[in-house]
This record gives sequence, structure tokens and C-alpha cells, in this order.
Amino acid sequence: MDTVLIPLFLGIALGVGLYARAIPQGDRSWWRFAATTVALAVAARLAGHSWTATLLASAAELVAVGMVWSGGTDAARAAARKYLTAVVLATLCTWAALALTGLGTLRPGAPWDKLAVALLLIGVALKLGLVPVYFWLPAVARASSAMTTALIVAVVDVGAFCELLTLRDTAPWIFTGFAPLWIGLAVLSLLGAALLALAQRALKPMLAFSSIDDMGYLLLGLVIGGADGMAGAWFGILGHALGKIVLFGAVGAAEWHLGRAVTLDDRGLSTPLPVASAAFMLGALGFIGIPPTLGFIGHWRLYLAGAELGGPLLLIVLYASSAMALLCYVRVIHRVWLGPAAAGPAVGTGGQPLPRAAAAVLLVFAIAPVLFGLVPNRLRPTLDPHPHVAELTGPLVANPLGGVK
Amino acid sequence: MTSTTLPILLLLGGFVLQLLLARWLTPVGKGVLATAVVFASFLASLTLVPASMAGVAAEAPLLAGWDGPLSIGLRVDGLSVLFMVMGTGIGAAILLFSVRYMEHEEQGTTRFYAIMLVFIAGLLLLAGAADMLGAYVAWEVIGLCSYSLVGFWYKQKAATDGARKVLVITHLAGYGFLVGLVLVYARAGTLVWTDPAVAPAFTSGVAALFIVAAMAKSVMFPLHTWIPEAMNAPTPVSALLHSACYVKAGVYLIARMYVVGGGQWHEAMGTPLLAVGCVTILVGVIFAMAQTDLKRLLAFHTVSQLGYIVVGLALGTDLGLAAGLFYCLSHALFKGTLFMCAGAIQHATGTRDLRDLGGLASAMPGTAKVWIIAAASIAGVPLTNGFVAKWLLFSAALDKGLLVVVLVGWIGSILTAFSFLKATVNAFYGVPSTALLGKRIHEASPSMLAGMGSMAGLCLLFGVAPQLLMLPIVAPAVRSLGFDWAVEMSWLGILTDRGTIAVTVGGGVVLASAMLGLLVYRLAQAPAPGLVSVYSGGEPLPAGDRPGAVDFAEMAETAFHPVYSLDPDPGYLRIWRALTRVAGAAQTTAGAVLEDRPLLPIGLVAIAALAGVWLV
Repeated sequence: MDTVLIPLFLGIALGVGLYARAIPQGDRSWWRFAATTVALAVAARLAGHSWTATLLASAAELVAVGMVWSGGTDAARAAARKYLTAVVLATLCTWAALALTGLGTLRPGAPWDKLAVALLLIGVALKLGLVPVYFWLPAVARASSAMTTALIVAVVDVGAFCELLTLRDTAPWIFTGFAPLWIGLAVLSLLGAALLALAQRALKPMLAFSSIDDMGYLLLGLVIGGADGMAGAWFGILGHALGKIVLFGAVGAAEWHLGRAVTLDDRGLSTPLPVASAAFMLGALGFIGIPPTLGFIGHWRLYLAGAELGGPLLLIVLYASSAMALLCYVRVIHRVWLGPAAAGPAVGTGGQPLPRAAAAVLLVFAIAPVLFGLVPNRLRPTLDPHPHVAELTGPLVANPLGGVK
Repeated sequence: MTSTTLPILLLLGGFVLQLLLARWLTPVGKGVLATAVVFASFLASLTLVPASMAGVAAEAPLLAGWDGPLSIGLRVDGLSVLFMVMGTGIGAAILLFSVRYMEHEEQGTTRFYAIMLVFIAGLLLLAGAADMLGAYVAWEVIGLCSYSLVGFWYKQKAATDGARKVLVITHLAGYGFLVGLVLVYARAGTLVWTDPAVAPAFTSGVAALFIVAAMAKSVMFPLHTWIPEAMNAPTPVSALLHSACYVKAGVYLIARMYVVGGGQWHEAMGTPLLAVGCVTILVGVIFAMAQTDLKRLLAFHTVSQLGYIVVGLALGTDLGLAAGLFYCLSHALFKGTLFMCAGAIQHATGTRDLRDLGGLASAMPGTAKVWIIAAASIAGVPLTNGFVAKWLLFSAALDKGLLVVVLVGWIGSILTAFSFLKATVNAFYGVPSTALLGKRIHEASPSMLAGMGSMAGLCLLFGVAPQLLMLPIVAPAVRSLGFDWAVEMSWLGILTDRGTIAVTVGGGVVLASAMLGLLVYRLAQAPAPGLVSVYSGGEPLPAGDRPGAVDFAEMAETAFHPVYSLDPDPGYLRIWRALTRVAGAAQTTAGAVLEDRPLLPIGLVAIAALAGVWLV
């Protein structure tokens, strides 16, 4: 049983549930879709690496489309259509690839092996919304409630990525034999999405692009493999899940307060929403990978994996992406949250204070990455570890002063 | 818990107590608690001195089994002890000053004291970290604390703008540290500073990356521009930032690099670092001369003074390192004092603009005396620790035949003296400005005076008897970096191994003359301070007039006009604008091509993937 992801998904479900009771995210159908999405994602993790798990994960993605559709607006329906297109195509491509490789247990003869890799590449890019096929994620972020996108990013996408981690163990040839393609996709995503995030004025699409940027990072670690790359991807994806709940949650709280979408033109929201402001800051710093957060535990290993594979050139790419992410988040923190509040009353139905339950959820999810950053070993699965996890759980204290690889 | 980890654990315990007792403690109570904790940590740090004097490096795990096979552990040697004693000692004095300074703050005092404690703990962890990863974690913790403290008044735009600049410049440059350690780990498989396997992996490129990170933290030109913007923080924050905890992190990193491969990095990077230090000395002081805001003036002097310290470290000799490290301690003392004086002035008058000050010596005589001692120290007046620091630095530069370094240092000292003469006269002497009329100006509270007075007293003590600092603190630090250095020093910092007995006698004459002058002054029944014109260095000025901050700033701007074009900020701004323009253009294209027509990118990816798999 997956002793990390299942508790994580259940914790996210509990947190999002409490948050959504305090700050409504949709009607009754939204609740049904959200609960089913998480339940299917958890069931997929319980099923392990199998066709059942693949079917359940795909079902979770399809149900998540319903969550977007339940928004009811034209924009929501348009976004749901885009998301559905991506999910259907991604599912077809991924299933075909998995069928060709026997769920990654065998390598078919040429040219079927190449076809399988090409299909998997397309499927993964569509599922995770990587550049250049990211079209659905910003649209979903713009048109849906904050926690809808957060659930898709933190549960559905994280589940899909962890499935990829398993595939990395069972069929390494898919990644090592075609590394330039995977690395190209990862680099395109982490640079392209970081640049596009800088161009956004609305916060939710900015966060969506930031997710794509981070997925590029994580994909790079996964492709590079080895103890460092896999550990980087593992810790990185956990930080990603926790961070996105906090960031989208804080922006959702600001939307609740203002009664409209939050953009870079808003000012001083820390005055009416100090808890949401602090949570956003902590979440952003963790997401950027500043110690002592869980994000750092993942990111420094991804840097290490980058150095081992691509040397200084890849390090420069990673640096450029990190720098753009930092500039992007710092701009948001200082324009939207900190500083003097904008003059005049809030517009729309706004001006509402942050409900206590939502504040508590934000605080818990903001502090968790810091605490786990201090004790990352706690996040290692204790049962049925994948080989990459087994590598991590080797002799823990080779040198009490640290530093021994 | 061991005596090695005790200083850090005390601070972290204090942090937890601040959070737990926040509801029950008054702002003064929180301040007293924080001061007591840091003072206890200071005492605990002092217990580490005997071992460091004996050349023993104490080791202890702090966070065992942290991340897989990696742990965070301490290895406290002479250099660590120097920074630990400095951080906790200066920190305790500054927090004592904070007790009354922050008592009227309506909210955020728990946050303030809690983060201050973590800030100091971060410096201790940095100084004691056994490996580079632990040091990097501490490096960024210090950065985050500084960011939070500079932005303490987060509802004020000026404060948050300053915090933003601190974070962006130091963090972006700080990636140099991360990338450097990653390269070392990839090549050596270890990050322990003293592991022999690290030396071959610690190339000049890695050293350059570390130095870039250190330059940003230690405000070296051209990465210094964040520091004047960080002045809109509570004064204790500025004092701690400038004196002990933040800008000294870069100094520590440069010094610590000497333990790797016997300081092999110095051969390739020593001269560039020396050049950066020299430029920083001059740019910092020239920019300082043009300031009329007292805290900004002090901030630019921090830039200049850090240049001196880095020059000392970049010399790469035992005396150079001793000079740099002694300068580091001295700077912590006099700069912390100066900032606290500036804070006391602002607290009393409501302004720190030199154009609106004047004649404060009569209303704030204690603060004036403390200020003058610290100002004399930074200017390098004999009998102060600032003089000893410069004396050692110039001696070390002359030993290496680097006359140009001495010349730069000498010019920098003269300009520093000019700048502080302006600040002293404008703040404390002459006729009070009209802006102060009607205001009831009060002397700093006893605890504030105690905080800054104790540090000023140490400036004098270590100026007269520097060996008190050299023998137990500085010399073990130099030896821990692999230099076999024996302290040959007498009173006033005179080096007795250089045949300068005559100069020692000269120093004694200077001391005797000063005492005689003071005696004559007292016996002559000097007139009580009053509203008198100040000698302007030339023709008498009209009654009540005096050479003001504006006159001085204008003179400096005229004299050093070309230097002011060396401000790197416009360059950074151009990079940012270019980046946002490129991002905007990318969004326009991507929006039209990739987002509005999904089938197009899907088709492109399909073609690229299919073509790619056959080509790879």
C-alpha cells in the first residue's frame, strides 16, 4: 500500500472539503465530482501498478472534467471541453503505449518500441499539460473555482506523475533510450512555462503556468533517474501537491474576499487577509524551493541530477527557470499581498473575512512543507517501496556529519 | 544536548517560548525574554572558546538522519566560534536596545522577536555547519529572516519594496552557492568542508560561484544596491543586518573556503576578489557622502567597510586574514552602535533626515558620546578598534607589496572621516533645525543607552588592548583556516614582530597627548554646550548658519559626479523590462497559436515525437 500518497490524497480531500464548506467552490454536483475524483485517485493508488490502477486513474481524470463543467458558465464549459479533449487523447495514447509495453514489463521489437515511446510522450505531455500542449490547464484555472484547479493539479496530475515514476522503475529503457526527447520536453516546459507565467496578470493562470514549470523540473529528475533524480522527483511532487493547495487556496480566499478574480492590479490584501497572505508567501517560498521547505529537498536533488546529466549547461537552464519563478512569485507577493491596501471599498460582493475553517486549512497546508522539510525521511513509504525508494532507505547515517553520498 | 549545540538550541528554544507565551507577555516582556535567551546563548558560545584556542574542532550532530544519508551536523572550530560569539554578543546588545525601542509597537512584536532569534540561530548554524549543504540551508534561513524583518512593517510600501529587493538580489546570487555545492557533490560525493575529497572538486569555477553568492550577501559592488533600500525596517533589524548577522554571512563564506584544499581557490580568484573589494571601498564611501538620510548614509558605509574586510580576506596571508577577521568583529561593534544611535535619534526626534536635525548633543548627551566613539572608530581614529583594524590591514597589504590597496584604503578612510564629520555636526552640533522647534526631545532610555554604550565601550577597549580579542578569538580562527599564525601584538595593535617599538612609543605619546588635552579642556572650565556656530574650516559663516548635509552632499555629488553613474540599478531594471517584454511577446504568440487552436500543438507534438523517436 502506498503509505505516503494515499494519506496525502486523503489529507488533501479533508482539507479541500473543509475549505469548500467555508468558501463554496461549486454546487452539489461539484461536491460529487470532487469526492469521486479523489476516491478514484486513492483507489488507483491502492490498486498498485496494474491495468486496474490505470483504468481508475483515467476515470479520475474524466470525472475531474465534470468538476470543471459543473462551474456552469460558458467559460467553464469551454474549459471543460478543452480538458476533455486532452484527457481523452492522453488516455488513448497512454493506454496504447502501456498495451504495447505490457504495462512496462516488456520491450516490444522495433518499430513498436519507438511507437510506444512516442505515444507515451504525447500522452504524458497532454496529461500534465506540458508545453506546448498546455492549452487546457490555464483555461481550467481561469474558468474554475480555485480548489477545482488545485484538486486537478494536486491529486489527478500528481497521481499521473507517480504512475510515471513507477514506469520509470519497471521500464527504464523508455526514458534512458530516448532521453533527449524527454529532456527536450522537460526543458521546454520549465523555461516556456516560467516565461509565460511572468506574462500573466491574473493569479490563477499564473499559478497554472507555474505548475507546468514545476512539472518540467520533476520530469527532468524522473528522466535522469538514479537515486538523486528519483528522490528529487519524489520529494518534488509531494511539495508540488502541498504547495498548490496552499497557493490556489490563498488565491481562492482573496477571490472570496473581493468577489472577483484576483489580478496583479490588486493591492495590499495582507491587511484584510493576513492568514491567506502568510500562507501564500510560505507556499510560494516552498514552491520556489527555498530551504528548509520540502520543495528544497526535491529541488536541490534535481539540480544535482541536472549537473550529473547535463553539466553546467543544464544547470544554467534550471537556474534560469528558478530565477523566473522567483521573480514571478515575488512580484505577486509584493504587488497583491503586501504593501498598503488599495483605496476604496472592495467591489462586488466582496469584503468578506476569511472563514476560520479556511484559514486553518491554509495554515496547516502552508506549515506542512516546512515541517516535512525538516524531517523528509518521514515521507518515505515503509511498505512495498519501489526500487528508487529502496535506494533512498539505505544506510541512513553513514557519517553523522553528513555529506556522504 | 551538548555544549556545542547549546547556543543554537537555546535560541530555538527561545523562539518556541516566544510563540507559546505570546498571549501573556507584554512587548517589553517579549524583549526581555529574547535578550535573556541571546545572552545565554552568548555565554554558551563563550564556553567554546577554550577548545578553539587549543585548536580542537568540536563535532556534534544537530539533525541526524535528515535527508536519506545526509545529516545536518556541527563542526565548531576557531572560525565558527568567532562568528558565534559575534552573532550572539552583538545580538544580545541589540535586543537589549530593542526592549524599549519596540515597546510601543502595536502589533507584530512576537513575530519580530521570534524571527530575530531564528535570524541569530541561522548565523550560528552557518558558522558551525560541518558541510556545505547545512551551510546553504542556514544561508537561506538567514535570507528569509532578513526578508521578513526588513518587511516588518508590511503595510508600508517602502518597507516591502526594500524586502523585495533584499530577497531578489541575494537569493538570485545565492543560487551560486547552491550550484557550486551541487557541482562539488556531483564530483566528490561529499560536501564536508574538511573532507580531502572536496579539494579536487572545488575548482576555480565553483569558487567563483561561491564568491558571487558571498558578494550579494556582503554587499560587494555591483550587488550592493539592496542594502540602502533595506533601511525602512525597525532600527534593531538594520543594526543586526548590518553589523553581525547578514552581511557577515558572505564574509564567513569567503573565509571558510580557505579550509578547502589549503585555500587553493585563492590562486585564481584572490586578485579579482581583491579588485572587487577595493572598488567597493571607494564606491560605498562616495555614495555615502551624498546621503542626507542617516540610515542610508550608514548603509553605504557598510558597503565600504565590507570592502575593507573582503580585501583583508582576499590578501590570502595570515596577517591579512587576521586583519579581515578583526575588522569583521570591529565593524560589528561600531556599526551596530552607529545604527542604534541612529535609531535613538529617530525615536527621539521622529526623523533621521540630517537636514532636519542639529544640536542634539545638549538634549541627548549620552547618545552623542556613544555616537562619537563609534564614528571615531569607523573613521579609524587611534585608540579605537577601527584604527587597529585598518592598521593591521595596511600592514598586511604592505607585506604583500600592494601599495595600491593601501592607497585605496587610505582614501576611503579620509572620505569616511569626512562623511562622519558631516553626520556628527549635522546631527549633534550647531543650531537645531526649525523642524525640531517645539519638539520635546528626550535622551535614549537607560536600556537603549546600555545596549549601544556597552558596544561603544568595547570599541575603545579593543582599540587600546586588541590582544584581548586577538588571542582568544581571532588567532584561533586564523589557525583553523590552516595558517600557522602567532599573535605578536602589543597595546594599540602595534605589531611587535615588525620592529616597530618606536611606533609603539609614538602610540603611547598619542594616548598621553589625548589625555592631556582632555585634562586641559576640563581645567579650562569649558563653556557649556550651547547654540553656537561651528567652525567651518574657512571663513566664518553667518551666525546660526553651518555647513549642512545638503551642502556636503552637493559638494560630493559635484566632486564625484562620474562615480554616481556606477549605480547598477538601472541595468537591473533594463534586464527586468526586457524579460517582461519577451514574456509578453511569448504570451501573445502562445495564446494565439497554442491555446486557441489546441489541435495545432497536439499535431506538432505528435509529429515531433514520432520523428524524434526514429532519430534518437
